[in-house]
Order: sequence, then C-alpha cells, then structure tokens
Amino acid sequence: MSGFSRRTFIKLTGLSAAAAASALGTRSLLEQRTGSTVRAAAAAAGRQETLVNTTCALCPAGCGLQVRVVDGRAVKVEGNPLHPVNQGVCCLRGQASLEALYSPERIRHPRVQTGPKGGGDWREISWDEALALVTAKLAELRQAGQAHTVAFLHGETRGSLRGLIHRFMAAYGSPNVLALEPPGEQTARLTMFLSQGINGYPVYDLNNANYAIAFGGNLLESSRHVIGYLAALAFMRRGRPRRGKFVAVHPRLSLTGVKADEWVPIRPGTEGVLALGMANVIINSNLYDADFVRDFTFGFEDFTDAQGKPHIGFKRLVLEHYNLERVEFITGVPAATIARLAGEFATNRPAVAIMPVEPDGLDLYAALAVHALNALVGSLDAKGGVLVQRFPELAPWPAYQADAIAQAGLSQPRLDADHPFGVPLTGAALADRLLAAAPYPVNALFLYNTNPVFESPAGGRMAEALLKVPFVVSFASTLDESAAHADLILPASTFLEVWGDDFVEGTGYAGVSLRRPVVEPVHDTRNPADVLLQLAARLGGPTAQALPYADYKSLVESRLAAIDMDRDRFVENGVWSEMVYFNAQPGSPAWANVVGRDRLNAPKDGRFDFFSRELFALAAAGALPLPAASGVAPADLACLPHFTAPADDASAEYPFLLVSQGLITRPRNWEGILPTLQECYGLQSNMKWKSWVEISPAAAKSLGVASGDRVWVESPAGRVQAVVRIYPGLWPNAVYLPAGLGHRTLVRWGRGSASNIVIGANVHQLQADSGVTRVRIYKS
Amino acid sequence: MPRWGMVIDLDKCFACQSCTAACRMENNTPPAGPDQTERGRAILWNEVLAFVHGEYPKVEVLLVPRPCQHCDNPPCVRVCPVKATYKNEEGIVLVDYERCIGCRMCTVACPYQVRYFNWHRPEWPEALKAHLNPAPEVAPRPVGVVEKCTFCIQRLRQAREKAAAEGRVFVASDYQPACVQTCTGHARYFGDLDDPNSLVYELSHSPRAFRLLEEMGTEPKVYYLKQG
Repeated sequence: MSGFSRRTFIKLTGLSAAAAASALGTRSLLEQRTGSTVRAAAAAAGRQETLVNTTCALCPAGCGLQVRVVDGRAVKVEGNPLHPVNQGVCCLRGQASLEALYSPERIRHPRVQTGPKGGGDWREISWDEALALVTAKLAELRQAGQAHTVAFLHGETRGSLRGLIHRFMAAYGSPNVLALEPPGEQTARLTMFLSQGINGYPVYDLNNANYAIAFGGNLLESSRHVIGYLAALAFMRRGRPRRGKFVAVHPRLSLTGVKADEWVPIRPGTEGVLALGMANVIINSNLYDADFVRDFTFGFEDFTDAQGKPHIGFKRLVLEHYNLERVEFITGVPAATIARLAGEFATNRPAVAIMPVEPDGLDLYAALAVHALNALVGSLDAKGGVLVQRFPELAPWPAYQADAIAQAGLSQPRLDADHPFGVPLTGAALADRLLAAAPYPVNALFLYNTNPVFESPAGGRMAEALLKVPFVVSFASTLDESAAHADLILPASTFLEVWGDDFVEGTGYAGVSLRRPVVEPVHDTRNPADVLLQLAARLGGPTAQALPYADYKSLVESRLAAIDMDRDRFVENGVWSEMVYFNAQPGSPAWANVVGRDRLNAPKDGRFDFFSRELFALAAAGALPLPAASGVAPADLACLPHFTAPADDASAEYPFLLVSQGLITRPRNWEGILPTLQECYGLQSNMKWKSWVEISPAAAKSLGVASGDRVWVESPAGRVQAVVRIYPGLWPNAVYLPAGLGHRTLVRWGRGSASNIVIGANVHQLQADSGVTRVRIYKS
Repeated sequence: MPRWGMVIDLDKCFACQSCTAACRMENNTPPAGPDQTERGRAILWNEVLAFVHGEYPKVEVLLVPRPCQHCDNPPCVRVCPVKATYKNEEGIVLVDYERCIGCRMCTVACPYQVRYFNWHRPEWPEALKAHLNPAPEVAPRPVGVVEKCTFCIQRLRQAREKAAAEGRVFVASDYQPACVQTCTGHARYFGDLDDPNSLVYELSHSPRAFRLLEEMGTEPKVYYLKQG
C-alpha cells in the first residue's frame, strides 16, 4: 500500500538483530533468520535504513508499529499493515511516540533520594548499586518475616509481565500485587463478570453491527480498543451494502458525538436510566428476543429461590419503575426519542449497546443496565454483538517450591482482602490504607506504570502515603508526581527499546504481538521486566528458582513456544493471530466459554444474569452495601440494574455537574510530555497545552464569565484554576474539564516562559470517589 | 505527467488528528510551545479545524482536516514578489526557502490559511532532535521563511528512486503522503486526478465531492466528500 512495501527490501543484517545477538551470544527463537530489512535506495545512498516491526504501548490498544530507523535513529512511525488491530494505520499518539523515546524529560540513570523524601535531591547511582540496594532491603524484610509487607502497585501491564510480577512476589512471599485499574475499565470488567460471568473487557463487533449505541464515555477518542473502532465505524458506513447507524449518548458533544449519526445529550450520570427506559419500551412492545431470554438468561421474570423466597425479575422492575415519563424526567431525554431509540435498537439487529471501557466510565449499575440491552436482543457473542476476547494458550511457568517464609507471607491477608471478587482498590482507598497502616504497615512499595499521585482523586493523600512508606521504588521513565515521592528510581526504558510480548486485544480472536528494540537504549535505562528477573537472581533461593530466565526476552520465548505458529513469519511480521472469530452458538459447548466461565459464587449454567447471582451471594453474606428502600426489596434491587438518585444536598452550594471524558490526544502513559499531542489537545475549544473548563452559554451568562476568563472550579475535594471556554455542546448544567493536563513536575516547553511549567488544572483533584462530582465556579 | 490530488471522505474522518501528528513527524515542523501556540503560531501543516454552530441541544460541529489545497490557480503564487512559491509541473505548490524573503504576502493571500511563517529559528530540546526526518527536503527551515504542506514531496522522490532501483516503472500508487498512510478511518485517498482509472478521479467526480471555497476560483486539488 505504501512506498515502504516489504517485497522490495533486500535483507541484510540489521540493527536490532545484531544488538540482540551481541547481548545473548547465541541465536534465539525471536531473532530473524536473515536479520532486519534494509532499503535498497537508501543503502545505495550510503545510509543504513531499516523498518522494524514492534508493538505500541502508549495505550492499551496495542497496535503494531513499523518504525523507520535511519543510521541508528528512529525517525518515523507507521502502522504495521499486517497487524490485525490497526491494519497499517497509526493514531496520533503512536505517531508522537518518538517524542517519548527522545524526550528531554527522561530519567537517564538510576537515582536515589538523598534529602528529605519528595524534596527533589537526587544522586545518580549505577545499576549495580541500585539493584544491590533493593536486594538488600528485600532480603532484610524477608529475613525479618516481613515479606508480606512488600507491595507491588502497577497500572497497565502487557503480555507476560503481569504473570512475571505475580510470580516474583509470590516466590518472594508477598500476596500484595495491587492493580490500579482505571475506574471506568474496572466497572466494565466487573459488569461483564457480574452479568455474563466473564472476567474481562467486552469487545464490540462494530464491523458487523447494524446498530450501535454508546452510553457515556468517549468511544472514538479514549476507549480501550479505540483504533479498531475507528476503522470499524468507517467500515460500517462506507464498506458494506447497508449503512449501519451509530448513536452516542453523553452529556458533552465529544468527537464521538460529533461524528455519530445521532448525538443524544443526557443529564450527567443518568445514562443507565436511559438504557432501562429503552428496555421498558422493548419489553412492553414485545420486541425482545423471547427465545434467547427464556433459554439463556436468568432473572428476567420474577422467581423464587431455593428457600422459597420470591424475588423480583428484571422485567417487572423495568416495567414498574422505568416508564417513559419517569425516564424522561430523570435523563432529560424526550420520551419520543427514547421510544424511537428503543425501536431502532430492537429492530435493526445485529444491534449492540456499548458501555465505556475507558478511564472515565459509568457507575456499576448503569453499566449493568447498558449491558442488559445486549441480552434482550440476543447480542451476546453474536455477530455484530458483544464478543469475549480470546487469548492464546502459553507454555506453563516452570514449577518451583515455595519455602516456609514465602508460605508464611502468602498466608497473610492482602491489603485489599476485604474487597469482593478481587476488585482492586481505588487510589484513594489504597492511600487510606497505607496511611492507616491497615491491616499492617507497608515497608516497601514498587510502582510500575502508574502515577497514583496524579491520577487518583485526592492525590495529595497518596503523596502523603508514599512519604510514609519507608522504601518506595519507582520504575518511572520520567519524574512524574509519584516518582518524585520515591526513594529510588530504576528508570524504565521506553517500549521502543525493549523486548516484550503483547496480547492482541479488541479483535475477539487471539493473537500475540512482538515488541522488539527499535534502537539501542538512548539512556542508561532498563526494561523493568529485566530488572525484576535480575532482582530475582540476586535474591536467590525460591525467587530465583521461580524465574530461571536470563532476561525477559528468553522468558517470552519460552512462554510463546507453546503456540503453534510459523515462528519465522511471526518474527518477520511482528505479530501472529488467529484470523477469524468463531461466535459461540447459544447452548453449544463453546457457549460455556462466553457466558458464566469465570463465575465464583454463581452457577455456570450458560445463563446471562439480568439478576446477578454473584451479587446475590454477596448480599446473602451481608457483604454488599444495599440501596435505600424504594418499593423494591433492597436486597433484590442490589442485584439488578437500577438507578438511585444522588442525595442532592449539595446542589445549592455546588450547582454544576462535572463531566469527565477522555480525549484522543491523551496517551495513557507519557501524558503531558509529548509536545505534539499537547499542541493538538482541545479541538472543539481550540485550546492547546493549557487546561480549560467548558461551560454552557447559559451557565456562562448566569455566572457573568466570558471565554478566556480565568476561573476557579471547586468541588468538595479541592479546587483548580482554568480558562473558560464557552461550548454549546454541553448539558446546560454541566461543566467539562479535560483530563491529562496540569502536571506539576513535567513538561518544560516553550520559548520565553519564565516558569517553564505549564500550569493547569488536574481534574482528578476534584473528582469524588464515586458518582457525579458537583462543582461551583467563580472568577479568580 | 500526473496531477497529484487528494480526496478526504468526511464520512470516514473522525477528527482523530493522526494526520496532524504524522505530518509533523514526517516534515519536521517544530513544536511551538504554549505561548507561541496561544498567539496562533503553531506550525501544523495539516491541522483539523472545528467550527461550532447552533445552540444546545441542536449543536453542530463541523470538523475539517485542512492540508494545503494545492490549488491549480494558487493565489499565493500570484502574490509572491520573488517567485519563491511556485507550482511544479505535477501541480504541487512548493516554497523555495532560499528565495523566500518572509514578506508573508502569501500567508495573507491564501484563503485557506495554510501557509506558516517561521517567527523563530526552529528548536528541539536536546535529544528530541534525534527523531527528525533526515530527508533533505524537510531539513528544518530557517527563521523568516514561509512553509507549508508539500504533499510530502520527499516521499515522491523516494518512491521514484525506489522504483528506479528496482528497475520498474514508477506508478502513482507508489507514492502516498504521510497523512494518507496513517489515516485511522482510511478516509484519505491520494493519486493522479488526471488518470480516469484512478480512485481519486472516481471519488472527485462523486456527487458527494466538494472543494473548500469553490467560489474563489482557486481550483483546489484537495476534494472532500460530504458526511452522511
């Protein structure tokens, strides 16, 4: 398709293969037999030019990249045409990823805090010294029977890395591997688990859907599988005989809303009610898939449990409590629109209802309501419906014998032991535990790919918590807000400098994508996965036995060995995947893999739960917070999708509702550092680099503020300053602050700017732990 | 002789701005920083513009990716006092940075505002220089000259060189600007507008096709296809 066609390359030994061979001494499975490819014309001009296939890590989409390397420098990124996720295209974040590789903000050597913690006095040390420090600390804690007080806090991990972390910690003797999952993604995963019994993110088959409706979030800007959805929507419109329809429901007109066939503005936080209203119409009009609902769902009709106790079903709940008048009153969406959407959804199958799988999502019961629509029209694992991502079967980890210390450590309760179904703690809850030393004090904490001080609501408490933990080790690449509070930084290489594996996600079918060094490391940094293996080797004993790998590359090689694939082609293409998604027929043996597979306390009977039996088991054990009585038994209501109106005590004091919505210009890692992204930031508001707050024209009038004014936006949790932008595409009572701006420790850019720091609002400082945050605005 | 042109399908464009970033990385336009950006001096040859109309809840936002339109009748060429800006024989409008005196007549004359003046010597902090595209056509421009989208002219040369090295005839599909290659919705098409067998010929004659400010008589070679 391009001027870079593979056919035309002469194969010569290239940079990455040579670098890898020198590191290992022998040829290994992942090396190309003939090395990398060199372009004829460039070679003739005396330049070494190669195209290296690798996998992006700037967001969880995990696209295949093809990086053009000239004389050892990476100069341009394109999409890998053979990669199933992005099929040759590359989003702006991938394009800008070279700015991360060569960023002046990168930490170049390991460093240790010398002054008071958080004070910014650092001394650069060698890797040997740094690893010795960590090893000594870990060995000391282990000897003292304190292995369980070492915690590993991580954000997104790719490929086998999560397994490596868990194995390292288990062999060392700590149960505390804590994932800080973005709240919206956690909700999506939990929703899949509680209703469909699958512990994973939903994948939406937009390529085959006739009708798609997205509730909340920002599907085309910040969803987990954004790149595939962009192409799928283009295909939905122009690639097939019948044009599909895409509807976006959210309070702010994002690019998703602009580019949707229809934008349905809605009161913030009531997206789930609209879904229930649609369900009401669909059930009332008998437009649902009655056979599917009867045979493959649970809790649609009222039922009696084993003890003979009656319970309300989804049908009666929706018919009695979510009639059009009430739904219109709550959501602000006209009844005629709700009825039309419901009719369109039920009669244009395959239809799919999309919940946000992204940091800013819905609350749990709203997401359950959205997902219930898919069960009503039989879109579970159907063509054009909700797919369950398959993953490849990898070789098992080698066996090892946990010693007595490890067994003692692992028998201790986890820091989040009281959280149901292994739901990770939120940043705020974790901060509270660290501060309260409950259930026990944490003596050492690793941070990988997460910046909780910036990202969690009440980040200040997190900073305090980090100061309190005596030994914080950060695998940061730049001095982000959390790394600034660490004792020791073991700087991570960028994804363009390391070996790794990455599972294909967002396609439905399974696949593995290879990450390989595109250039020699720019700085004295290492792959955190390699560092963990080095630490394991230094610790010796069972930790070393559990991880008998020279480096992460050989770990990946041994894990991938179980996949039946053409290895040479995998290495050359940078990716292997199955090419077809086989939808499971309801009731067939394969059906057990897509409905009920991961259930813990509910039967794996192949039935989708309108009435969540997982939640019911939890409620029976008294471990579920119950909603207030509202004509339905609270214990029943807690198991069904529903809406509880927030207590509006604060509405006079804090009149506005804060809307949060991710933007496509925000990478999940390296946010605030890549100048090209900063320069593209706010499209509709034409606001780059700096934080802004979007206010509706009506609200601006009542506040007496104009575009360009500086205002304070204040919530009960804190306040931030921002520049006003008046935007009519906003629920009149809502305000919007973009996420990802307002870093304190990063980004020195710009000519003649004295402070050299981009000051802006960090929206996370305002957010409440749950629900819609209320704010007030006043001039500054 | 091909007459290069582009078609952008607004039905498949989701305003993701990947073209904007790809263009920057391919063509070495410098980051302007917050202060210069606020003064409207960011150099993005391929910006996406947003026009917001209407009142809640009937709000319309028109999103237009805007490269240089490579007019067949380019106003910028006509006003240039030193013939620094010119249209080459394949229809691509270019700037000779050696000749440009920085008078900025062209930036005013261009109805599409796609010509960018270098107010400062382009700068990249330290290591960031390493990712600059080494092609001579996109060497960072000196202060005081005007620059603009070139349809990635270096890629045209590279494609011709490659075809020659492989001993085959260069064909239009060998050449593709960076924005076209990276477009996430596959919304951009590029090729020879004079070739009746080309996709761009077919699309530019589609009933959905239109050009920006057609009434100015500039005869742009960038076509848009209406949404919906």
